[in-house]
Amino acid sequence: MADADRKLSSVAILGIGAVTPLGRNLDVIAAKLKEPADPSDAVRQVSDELLADTSLSRNLRRADRFTRMAVMAAVDAWKAAEAACIGVALEHVGMILSSGFGPHCRGFKFLDGLIDEGDGATSPTDFSHSVHGAALAYISGLLDIRGPSLSVTDFEIGFEQSVQLAQCWLAEGMCDRVLIGAVDEVGEVLLHCASRMLNEAAEVSPGEGAMFMVLGPGGSSGAIAQLDATTNPHAVDLLLSERPVVAVPSRGGPGVEAKERATFTSYFGYSTSTAAFQLLGGLLRLRETGVSESIDNAATLRTSSDAQLATMLLERISR
Amino acid sequence: MSRSSALISGVGIVSGAGADTAATLASFRDGIRHISTTLPFESSITCPTFQVESPLPVLPDGQNSSRTLRLAMAAVREALTNAGIERFDAGTRVGVCIGTTVGCQLNCVPFYAAMRNGGNPPLDPVSDFLKTNVSQAVGKLLGVRGPRLTVVNACSSGSDAIGVAASWIRAGVCDVAIAGGADEMYIVPVAGFWSLGVMSLQPCAPFDKNRSGLNLGEGAGVFVMESEAYARSRGKSHQFEVAGFGSACDAHHLTAPHPEGRGLDAAVRAALMQARIEPDDVAFINTHGTATLDNDRAEGKVISRVFGNQIPFLSTKGFTGHTLGAAGGLEAAFTLLGLREGWIPASMGFETPDDEIALVPVRRRTEVAGKYALSTSLAFGGNNAALLIGRVG
Repeated sequence: MADADRKLSSVAILGIGAVTPLGRNLDVIAAKLKEPADPSDAVRQVSDELLADTSLSRNLRRADRFTRMAVMAAVDAWKAAEAACIGVALEHVGMILSSGFGPHCRGFKFLDGLIDEGDGATSPTDFSHSVHGAALAYISGLLDIRGPSLSVTDFEIGFEQSVQLAQCWLAEGMCDRVLIGAVDEVGEVLLHCASRMLNEAAEVSPGEGAMFMVLGPGGSSGAIAQLDATTNPHAVDLLLSERPVVAVPSRGGPGVEAKERATFTSYFGYSTSTAAFQLLGGLLRLRETGVSESIDNAATLRTSSDAQLATMLLERISR
Repeated sequence: MSRSSALISGVGIVSGAGADTAATLASFRDGIRHISTTLPFESSITCPTFQVESPLPVLPDGQNSSRTLRLAMAAVREALTNAGIERFDAGTRVGVCIGTTVGCQLNCVPFYAAMRNGGNPPLDPVSDFLKTNVSQAVGKLLGVRGPRLTVVNACSSGSDAIGVAASWIRAGVCDVAIAGGADEMYIVPVAGFWSLGVMSLQPCAPFDKNRSGLNLGEGAGVFVMESEAYARSRGKSHQFEVAGFGSACDAHHLTAPHPEGRGLDAAVRAALMQARIEPDDVAFINTHGTATLDNDRAEGKVISRVFGNQIPFLSTKGFTGHTLGAAGGLEAAFTLLGLREGWIPASMGFETPDDEIALVPVRRRTEVAGKYALSTSLAFGGNNAALLIGRVG
């Protein structure tokens, strides 16, 4: 994702929805981000009460936590972008969902049946819900979205790569809007593994949640901010990296200068969807006007283990 | 050349139909099915499957445990050789986009069973899993940098991965892309499809009146794709391209296709539109053709509606079984081979026309002539994908 790659334009963020350990309401989440983070190393989980959305309960009666988080965040993002989607054909709306582990808790529930009852007597419902694409199937059915639908996975830079793909889809006219999100859940098995694999001095706790955005072509009316996952910024107001003191150098170029650095992992916890929640934190900071500091743009940066640089540059539309 | 310029420079395949392209073509030519009657793990289920019997590449420690990754690398190596690429220069941006289902799920049964019983089993299966995300691992094994995504769109994953790679190349975010699908035979999909009641106890018979369900298979199918500029820079001319790609969601049901094939219809028409061609320009169709009642009926309706009842079509799953995340990659490769060779094999297993399907697949090896051919995929979640492979020039 070097600057030389740039044939793609920034895209417009038209709506956001999130289900997080801090809540589901964006104003509430923004307010909590201004308070000190919980210093404990407790797992950052989404509360069961939050996932008991009565308005969706009929549609979600067989859905698990993963799918519930995804559906609620996607529905909220879609509602938030409603005005900016008037006249857009649902056949021209695409969807991309990124997750490192997918609905793995449902997968282990399927394995419970396999181990306890034998491989000839497993649950078809658990099987069909254990595939990564189950959440988007729910979302498409609920919102009647009928364009391209893509579930992807990567342990490191899946969300950033999804944003870049959304830029491709919008640029080539494959879609007029893209509902894009990242979802991860923490369950018993991941916690068991994390407790044994992570260093006791690990600075962050595991976390879960879902974050969705509706993206449209750059310049779309009603945009909250502009987003670009194809450029390497060299100077930004706010640099979002997983650890606040780490400056991530761009590949073969200078480091990124920033007026301010921040991280939100201590609020949302760490997961393979961390970039989405960093972006959410950045968006909520940009959304605030009249604050003392001038934050007009923000960049999320991280490197993969093979030293690939993934960036997303977020820019305020107007004050 | 059509508007799209994602050139195909290499093809790699491995499946129950053959260890590589040459072996696969021999099976297709002779109409031979290599059916396995035993599963490679302990199971109470007895069903025909299509397994890869040939040796697979040996990978570094921690990655060798993933048969899906080894299948993928077998196909990648053949595709790179076929493309005439020994290694990539440091500045070449190489995208990797592979689709899978089994390869993306942390579902090691012995580990989970031990953990569930309160034990602390060795974490090797988990750390190995973290090293074998297919696209990440392929990129690292090749030492390349560029965009990467592992597509987990169930049975359309391989087709969707090729569509993603074509978008990357057209948008200029990479020079070369390695794209397709890979999946191994594993107890979880066997038990899962068994639970859904869609597995046949007989060799599968796509589009046949008496079809009784699918057979599972394993394999990998991969394209090496490149931009016109990169092809020019290495002095290569190409015969084929991804001329069009369409993807659409049914918004109907988690596991069953829309009865009228609504999403598939939209995907096919989108692919035709992207390639700027008409249905009459398509020489043949390699269908998804799983041999389930619902899939074949819906697919038959769409083909009849869009292309009429005379177009040659087949399902290659009679040779490979349903290879899940690999299916789209394998079948795109078979589609290209049909165009290249000028013939398509018999749609194995088909004998008796179904009154509910208005057209019948080819019953014998059939000569085909034309510039374009279509490969279709349908998946859990209501995903549908259509890939148009075109002859360049």
